[in-house]
Amino acid sequence: MNGFVPLLAKEFLEIRRTWRLWVVPGILAFFAVTGPIMALLTPRLLASMAAQQPGVVITVPDPTAVDAYAQFVKGLTQMVLLALIIGGGGLVSGERASGTAIMILTKPVSRAAFILSKLVAELVLLLVATTLTTVVTLLVTRALFPPVPAAPLFAAVAIWLVQAGLVVSAMVFFSASFRSRGGAAGAGLAFVMVLLLLSMWPAAERYSFVGLTAAIANALRGGGLWWGWPVGTAMVGMVGFAVAATVVFRGKEI
Amino acid sequence: MPDESGPAETSTAAALDIRSLRKEFGTAVALDGISLRVPNGSIFGFLGPNGAGKTTTIRIVTGLAHATAGTVRVVGRDLAHDRAAIAREIGFLPDVPGFYDWMTAVEFLGFTGRLFGLGGSALRQRVDDLLDLAGLTNVATRIGGYSRGMKQRLGIAQALINAPRLLILDEPTSALDPIGRREVLETVASLRGRATVFFSTHILADVERVCDTVAILDHGRVVANSSVAALKERAGVHRLAVTVDGDARVLAERLEGAPWLVACDIEDATLRLTVSDAQRAAHDLPRAVAETSLGLLRLANEEVSLEDVFVQLVGGERA
Repeated sequence: MNGFVPLLAKEFLEIRRTWRLWVVPGILAFFAVTGPIMALLTPRLLASMAAQQPGVVITVPDPTAVDAYAQFVKGLTQMVLLALIIGGGGLVSGERASGTAIMILTKPVSRAAFILSKLVAELVLLLVATTLTTVVTLLVTRALFPPVPAAPLFAAVAIWLVQAGLVVSAMVFFSASFRSRGGAAGAGLAFVMVLLLLSMWPAAERYSFVGLTAAIANALRGGGLWWGWPVGTAMVGMVGFAVAATVVFRGKEI
Repeated sequence: MPDESGPAETSTAAALDIRSLRKEFGTAVALDGISLRVPNGSIFGFLGPNGAGKTTTIRIVTGLAHATAGTVRVVGRDLAHDRAAIAREIGFLPDVPGFYDWMTAVEFLGFTGRLFGLGGSALRQRVDDLLDLAGLTNVATRIGGYSRGMKQRLGIAQALINAPRLLILDEPTSALDPIGRREVLETVASLRGRATVFFSTHILADVERVCDTVAILDHGRVVANSSVAALKERAGVHRLAVTVDGDARVLAERLEGAPWLVACDIEDATLRLTVSDAQRAAHDLPRAVAETSLGLLRLANEEVSLEDVFVQLVGGERA
């Protein structure tokens, strides 16, 4: 894979120098801090709303640390995934649009290295940012709630990382396939919508990566882990999207 | 100009050998079986009107696009099988080079050099030399703040990072002021004999100034391919300048319809005539002047320009 190392170094430098450092990590940090706070305040907010409505009674159980974890994880499975889709749309198509792809691909660089350096850099950024912000949410939660085991949080976040990795890999494929960022992001959103629809089919949810969201929720509840099939198929899917991105891009005219 | 490439091959091998190259986009034919040969160590001008297929040809040669048919050999290697090896030997500057705006010129050239496997002090020295060549040595700002001319000069520098055997330039002077153009042309001319330059441009004066050989592309076909001098000779056009002591438009009207007249430009009292038969024109012109009651002050041959040849070959409306 000619040129992989300098391309990967370039990706990391770009992450440090541009908006890429702040968007996904920033959103992660936001939910890491606000998740536990929202868990703590939501019952009080609901109670105060009910107090203003005569005859309305809202009974909300006291929040626990698991609720704090759940708020953080909800942010991961919604807003952070959305940010990965929107940001990922320009990973490859952006370089084609700006003309930098021409400058790079006329050098002794394989197209596989061009694609895979982007995938690896995004995954590393995701892993590091998620790990750090998970620790932050754990610390904030312990400051606000009586301590509970952290295992459910780590398990849920670990499964989410696989889900996010699958989405990132899919976005690299869509960005390599479509000329425009918008087209790639649209395809990414469609992909996630299809997963959502397929999750209504129990067999798909149980035996494929369609069930990752349910596996995350189950892990958070401390339920018996049945993440084997969802995680395993997601890993295969990640590799499949990466290979497909390389194959598609190799045939593209730049 | 730093030279680490050593002398180019002195054999008759071609730096670029294109045979029957065809490119179709659906039903549209962009290249209709073009063939051309760029000798080693030469500076080769690649001309053509907009849409002729020049950039398409270059995109195929640089591996950015795929040919529908035909063969391309670059520095003696088959493009279909040795793309990676070819990429090590060529330098390329696209017509609008794209850069990472968040990098400095030093970083971009260093990154480009590492893509070729260069490193250490050798790469640092190479980067310094190229920045000096590009006039960007003391520019600390990031590329995002560069003018178009600065980006073009950086583009030339990055194309030279690997001391290429074949340098492919797509409209390298289009974004430059006259001084910048001259500097680029001087750099290109200095490479003669040490590298081969394949130079696509609209600016015919640039081609006349530095190129040994020229190919003219029109509607996806090569309509001419020879040295500049031979092209002018074979095009069968000649230039005559006729100065009269009155209104030259009167003479121009008289000459309309002359079988040897290709084109006529009026500049005050002088007609600049492009003619297909210089001998017949020189014979007929004094009589034509006399019939207009004008006085003939001067009748002289002028050097045919490449523009005259270009216009004759591809048509005046597209010049």
